[in-house]
Amino acid sequence: MVRTEVAVVGAGPAGLSAAIECARAGAKVTLIDENAKPGGQLFKQIHKFFGSREHRAGIRGIRIGEELLAEAQALNIDVWLNAEVCGIYRGSELWVVVDHSESRLVKADAIIIATGATENAVSFNGWSLPGVMGAGAAQTMINLHRVLPGNRIMMIGSGNVGVIVSYQLMQAGAEVAAIVEAAPRLGGYGVHTAKVRRAGVPFYTSHTVLEARGSDHVESAVIVQLDDKWQPVAGTEKEFDVDTICIAAGLTPLIELAAGAGCSTCFIPALGGHIPAHDEKMRTSLDTVYIAGDIAGVEEASTAMEEGRLAGIHAAAALGHYGTDEESRRSAEVWKRLSTLRSGPFGQKRREAKDEILNSRRTLSERV
Amino acid sequence: MKRVIEHPVLGRLEDAKEVKISVDGKEMTAREGEMIAAALFANGKNVFRYTNKRHEPRGVYCGIGRCTDCVMIVNGVPNVRTCVTPVEAGMVIETQQGIGHWGEEGSGDRGGEDGTH
Amino acid sequence: MKMDEKKEMKNDKDRLICRCEEITLGEIEQAIDEGCTTLNEVKRRTRAGMGLCQSRTCSKQIARIIAQKTGKPLSEIMPVTSRPPARPVKIDVFRTGESNEESN
Repeated sequence: MVRTEVAVVGAGPAGLSAAIECARAGAKVTLIDENAKPGGQLFKQIHKFFGSREHRAGIRGIRIGEELLAEAQALNIDVWLNAEVCGIYRGSELWVVVDHSESRLVKADAIIIATGATENAVSFNGWSLPGVMGAGAAQTMINLHRVLPGNRIMMIGSGNVGVIVSYQLMQAGAEVAAIVEAAPRLGGYGVHTAKVRRAGVPFYTSHTVLEARGSDHVESAVIVQLDDKWQPVAGTEKEFDVDTICIAAGLTPLIELAAGAGCSTCFIPALGGHIPAHDEKMRTSLDTVYIAGDIAGVEEASTAMEEGRLAGIHAAAALGHYGTDEESRRSAEVWKRLSTLRSGPFGQKRREAKDEILNSRRTLSERV
Repeated sequence: MKRVIEHPVLGRLEDAKEVKISVDGKEMTAREGEMIAAALFANGKNVFRYTNKRHEPRGVYCGIGRCTDCVMIVNGVPNVRTCVTPVEAGMVIETQQGIGHWGEEGSGDRGGEDGTH
Repeated sequence: MKMDEKKEMKNDKDRLICRCEEITLGEIEQAIDEGCTTLNEVKRRTRAGMGLCQSRTCSKQIARIIAQKTGKPLSEIMPVTSRPPARPVKIDVFRTGESNEESN
């Protein structure tokens, strides 16, 4: 049995930030990640963040990842890689399997779950053919592994992930034949969308993918126009010669550990679906279990880091490392930054959705 | 599916030691430590297995080890996620049919010691 | 997403929904017709969600199909019950005497 004060599950931006915050406060932290390398999705993000706020200095995701890792290393945080958390019990025990071979039981006074989110699937005829993949998969291939998944790509989805990955595919040397969006309007930040447009990529709004064709691999894709009732319009089918179809249809929080641990959930479609209800301290319905990052609602890496800090501050305070004044002061600073991140036309919707989560958590308390 | 050698943000791809791997009996060259899936893509192979029921081809879908579409038989062990497993010199990789089979080099005792699955 | 709601109305029975177990839209709809109204029930009936990815890829799709066919709101369609182990674990791992930790 390994004894620790704070066990953090997931070493992406939220988990790293939480671990750093707790360690700075003087708590003993064990940071557990199932991957061979920490950083979550950060090391694929070669673009500059905060792109929607023109006046802010842009920092690339990879740079942020490097900085977080350096901080974590400097604080001597105990990091377990290739370590899968298989279960959480009584809000304080974690069953971890390391290297697929060694079982460890961890006893913690507080647990911060920062397991992120997973890409959504969109099914269509032929979608299981090699060559159909998540946009994130393509991004991993080009930015991390430095290999093209294909040469001519169709992107399904015009949200941020869709346009950003389209641009990155072009930076890597691929051609993007089209970006297909079911809604009548495009979904991503103006800055990213404009870049892709300028590069000559055609957008097809009110269109959806009908079929991926090919024998052993994608050879072409058929899209069709939708009417205002989202029904395919006969005769508007268009076939594109592509070898890859990327799906960028949003993300869903990975709540299996939190739900299995007994955390109550709420349903917030705007942030990805079922989400563990949490309060302003990022605490779930279980007193000792906190969440942070995309698991608490799909937003961005910047909000993930702030939520990680928040969870870290309050977990450390709950364990006696900060007094109430210190806790409030630090927490207020983070909330100020979160408010800025959740402003503007895109941010406002997220703020409202996050408020729904807080309300949901409050309702739970009132019932008890 | 070529390698991205020059990149406007990431710069030039660093040189890496070459290793030889065997894929369905054919020798291929890979960069030491790269993911099997990446090595296969770089060598023009993107069909990794055929499904159990419908014998349909599958390749990479999620790319981060969560969906298990990309699994192949590696050194006699089936269901190895090629997108998160690094290559090693002399690795023997086979297109998996259905749930695969355990090869001569693979057995229950081997489970996990190479850290792959 | 509305795009996918529309997709389900195309009646494309042979379209795969669960990639791991190769379960089609037709099989899932049949399970619902036969009385399944939850993801757990559809899973037990069809094996959709029992594969290596443990419903990660098909969960939301099946929830939408259930919602469309039964009128149940998505908010009431819960993901499959999550139980340890959250990841596949080899039997090897359960062998005693292998670990350095004191047994508890």
